[in-house]
Amino acid sequence: MKGMRFAFLCREKPEPTGKKVAIIGAGPAGLSAAGYLVCHGHEVHVYDKLPEPGGLMLFGIPEFRIPIYRVRKGYEELENVFEVKFFPKTKVAFGNGEEEGDEFVENIVNFNELVEKYDAVLIATGTWESWMPNIEGIELDGVYPALDYLFKIKSAKLGHMSWDKVPPIDGKRVMVVGAGHTAVDAAMESLLLGAEKVYMSYRRTIREAPAGAYEINLLKQRGVKWLELTVPVRIIGEHGKVIAIELQKCKLGEPDESGRRRPIPIEGSNFQIDVDYVVFAVGQRPTPPFAEDVGIAVDKKGRIVVDSRHMTSREGVFAAGDVVIGPSKVGRAVLDGLLAAESMHMWLLGR
Amino acid sequence: MARRILHVDYSLCIGCETCQSVCEFIHHGKPHIRIYYTESGLPIPINCRHCEKAPCMNVCPSNAIYKDTDGAVIIDPKKCIGCLMCLAVCPFGAPSYEARLKVVTKCDMCADRRRVGLEPACSEMCPAEAIFFGRPEEVEDEIRRRTAEKIARERISSTVMESIGRIL
Ligand SMILES: Cc1cc2nc3c(=O)[nH]c(=O)nc-3n(C[C@H](O)[C@H](O)[C@H](O)COP(=O)(O)OP(=O)(O)OC[C@H]3O[C@@H](n4cnc5c(N)ncnc54)[C@H](O)[C@@H]3O)c2cc1C
Ligand code: SF4
Ligand code: SF4
Repeated sequence: MKGMRFAFLCREKPEPTGKKVAIIGAGPAGLSAAGYLVCHGHEVHVYDKLPEPGGLMLFGIPEFRIPIYRVRKGYEELENVFEVKFFPKTKVAFGNGEEEGDEFVENIVNFNELVEKYDAVLIATGTWESWMPNIEGIELDGVYPALDYLFKIKSAKLGHMSWDKVPPIDGKRVMVVGAGHTAVDAAMESLLLGAEKVYMSYRRTIREAPAGAYEINLLKQRGVKWLELTVPVRIIGEHGKVIAIELQKCKLGEPDESGRRRPIPIEGSNFQIDVDYVVFAVGQRPTPPFAEDVGIAVDKKGRIVVDSRHMTSREGVFAAGDVVIGPSKVGRAVLDGLLAAESMHMWLLGR
Repeated sequence: MARRILHVDYSLCIGCETCQSVCEFIHHGKPHIRIYYTESGLPIPINCRHCEKAPCMNVCPSNAIYKDTDGAVIIDPKKCIGCLMCLAVCPFGAPSYEARLKVVTKCDMCADRRRVGLEPACSEMCPAEAIFFGRPEEVEDEIRRRTAEKIARERISSTVMESIGRIL
């Protein structure tokens, strides 16, 4: 059983260049950048707020997709062979409040102070803020952002959280809203943890589902009730806890700016389903390690703006992965991390 | 040197595109392994499978295709005349026309990397461990080990829930 070789460009550490680089975020973008940089002789320190490196590969994506040892052995090689220094449970921030995935934070490092200490910095903090719709009942007990739901399950599986902090799923009825990777994984994990019934609500049809028809069909075969062309309009509670959800049927209208046909709600088509949990997997937003002005531009979707060298509007600070491109895929984040690291290397050597 | 195989297991692939990304990175924008999504939405990585009895090698009119000591099927760009016969007969559509060099190129099982003791980048980086590289008996052993893990997980979870499907 071998680990991912983030430092796939070399076998051992080359002559040191004397340059020191900090990477914020140890997901696929940060770790593959670390691999490139150590293979080019730079000293690399990686900061992450979670108890171990891996990002969503460990703390989001279920282990039946990515085996845990594959990621663990991968970062262990970076640590043991290439002397990458990891700072887990360490959040880098400037004016950030409490955010998703902050459960394990023990140290907070000031972003500006960090930038001063290193020759170059890479931001690879991903998209850790979940979109939640503004509907009645959203504050009820039993309503979760999918990332938080999966994060708790994975944290318990990895041995960082006790199972009594994870919502008990055995015998429960779960409604998952959305049809992307995150929604599919939330539905699948619910099934595996013994949910009595799993529903999925999606406002378009299986043909538009971002996770692809194959994944949705697999879930249907396993008994997930697929409710396409529906949107949640309110969540019904009793004593502060979810007891049901009200959905409205839709039809598809003209294509919107994304080229997909826009769902239009049908008046008077509302219906209710009794559920114990409602899990929203309807999108995530970029989470840079700063909330106030640090001289780094972000666009209106909250993504860090970079130039063709992957450099932000602050000299010597680079960014890569989902925090730049928005929610994507492991491979996309890996490529972005590698390209950013290559530019950082050129920049550090003054080319 | 002993025969090596580069094997992609389609049932383990999660379609994350990491193999394509690292291949694209080391080949400066042109990957030799690519993910295609089928009509049913299933991701399938397509690359050269370095056939034992390679049809491309047999058909090449200019003898540009040869096997190296690890068993990798390689196109010599100096001999290739760009007739695309290899593409015509390849069961996987692997060979690809390189407009800049006016020759056909394809996966060479990371020949440069193997020379310095590294393995093909796609198999080193695949997060799902769906790409295997090594001597045939080593690779087969790994595949069986992964399958045993799948079976174990299936049995364990079936005590919680009946009829969990095959991929678990
Ligand atoms: C449930 C789920 C399932 C998915 N399934 C798939 C799949 O099957 N295939 C696929 O290709 N992609 C999948 N994805 C997408 C994929 O996980 C992401 O695109 C990829 O992980 C992005 O990589 P990244 O390195 O940019 O960010 P991340 O993996 O998110 O890593 C960012 C890291 O930064 C850390 N961090 C954030 N803020 C701070 C801070 N202020 N200080 C310190 N550290 C910080 C986080 O703790 C995290 O470790 C899935 C995503 C989710 C949520
Ligand atoms: S890296 Fe592995 S899991 Fe990802 S697409 Fe390639 S073969 Fe599939
Ligand atoms: S190019 Fe096609 S025919 Fe030739 S070895 Fe590769 S897979 Fe086989």
